[in-house]
Amino acid sequence: MKHVTTAYQKPIPLKDHDNKPYWDAADKHQLALQKCDDCQSYAQPPGPSCAKCGSQHVSWENFGDDIKATVYSYVVSHRPFLPGFQDELPTIIALAQLDDVPEVKIMGNILHCEEKDVEIGLPIQMTWVDITEDRALPQWIPVTN
Amino acid sequence: MMGNIKDRYAIVGVGESKRSRKSGTTPLHLALDAARAAIEDAGLKATDIDGFMNYNENDSCTSHQLATYLGVRPKYVKDIQGGGASTEMLIADAVSLIESGMLTTVLIYRSMNGSSGTRVGRGYDPDMLQGALSGGSFVIPYGSASPSQWFGMYATRHMHETGITKEHLGHVCLSFYEHAQRNPNAFLHGKPLTMEEYLATPDISSPFNIHDSCLELDEGNAIIVTSEEKAKDCTSRPVYIMGMSARQCHPHTHYWNDIDQVASDYVAQEVYENAGVTPEDIDVASIYDCFSWVVLRQLEAYGFAKRGEVGEFVAQGNLKIGGKLPTNTAGGMLSEGYTHGMNNALEIVRQLRHDYKGTDRQVEDCKIGICTGWAGPDIAGAMILRN
Ligand SMILES: [Zn+2]
Repeated sequence: MKHVTTAYQKPIPLKDHDNKPYWDAADKHQLALQKCDDCQSYAQPPGPSCAKCGSQHVSWENFGDDIKATVYSYVVSHRPFLPGFQDELPTIIALAQLDDVPEVKIMGNILHCEEKDVEIGLPIQMTWVDITEDRALPQWIPVTN
Repeated sequence: MMGNIKDRYAIVGVGESKRSRKSGTTPLHLALDAARAAIEDAGLKATDIDGFMNYNENDSCTSHQLATYLGVRPKYVKDIQGGGASTEMLIADAVSLIESGMLTTVLIYRSMNGSSGTRVGRGYDPDMLQGALSGGSFVIPYGSASPSQWFGMYATRHMHETGITKEHLGHVCLSFYEHAQRNPNAFLHGKPLTMEEYLATPDISSPFNIHDSCLELDEGNAIIVTSEEKAKDCTSRPVYIMGMSARQCHPHTHYWNDIDQVASDYVAQEVYENAGVTPEDIDVASIYDCFSWVVLRQLEAYGFAKRGEVGEFVAQGNLKIGGKLPTNTAGGMLSEGYTHGMNNALEIVRQLRHDYKGTDRQVEDCKIGICTGWAGPDIAGAMILRN
């Protein structure tokens, strides 16, 4: 019988009709983004059609696993508003602006980072945390030289 | 487009229930208390009202129930799900229905046990939130489930770009708390705040501490809207609607992807155009204040101070009575009460009627006021009123 003593308590991203390719890629430790074939803009989060021009011609582009970004904005939360965060306070929640696609901003936690070290412009890179047997959550860590 | 309704509709009655942490009664009772107070304020009979509307988050009573227990058979009832900016939207809807000839006088209310009953933004099922929020699966798994965290993301960036400091947020809080000390019905009456205390209060979620966040209370508020002709039958001094922009949206479906603009930026242009006035014409303001920063961002959006100068504007005391733009003069949602903005709408009506004449609460000789609503960075509305 399988042990479940360390079951993941935090919310697990729900896959739906429009976001499934993003989370499927994340499970393989990769980033995929939805792109409009007509106006060429990237959509994050993805949707049923392009939110910039309304086009239904959208496709997915894989960016691999070397994802660099900078902190566009952030909050430091001292109170858990959801299950699973009570043991990891304070929680840094950041909006990451991708180096390669600056129009795309992705929310995530910054791991291995002190509250005093987070600032707008901080270079970060995407990492993936295996949260269940078949699911992985994209997260961010400061870039170390 | 709205030029044809300018000054032809009026708010003729306002009223509220008691406000408390624990009402010990139901939202229907609170709504009845508020409605009776507004009807009396207007000098109307309950049966003069033929339309009833409310906004709620599944935490209230229905318009049909309210009308029933006022002894009225309404011609029209409407209950919508909504928070901030719903007051302005329902007033716009009431005006449209009266203009169409379907109704003559409409009562709009918000009633909630926001402290002892269902608390806004608390205790939701995480999976429900992921589905209910646009793009929720990209936000909820990271622990971001409170409006303080969603709006805080905007605030941190905006403060970085415009030089707004924590102390500037404090000036918003201190200004409104000061107003609450003059308002015996304010929940934080008798609880003044100093900058020292404010800065020493730890953040719940940066950049906001408890003082930056609105109250959670049990209370009901009501507003009565009618036509200019019908307003002549009322005993109250009518406050005329000059212009509205009821429910504008942020341009993209998912707002966390663009935290640099807010719906209020779009509301401002239209509400001034409809009213035929400019920011310089505004004597008194009710600015939606679910969080202190939300006020600062709206001061920029509505043109009361230039981007980059908003912090200095509030530090100079301009939000206080005697300042350039006395704002939330009953204490606002930070220190008077909290009904998703309707209490701020009640106050602007009272100011424009000069109800406080002869006291230190009256903005002297005020003629034109603005009332803004903010459901979030994504949805906003506003109205400009005159006496
Ligand atoms: Zn497009």
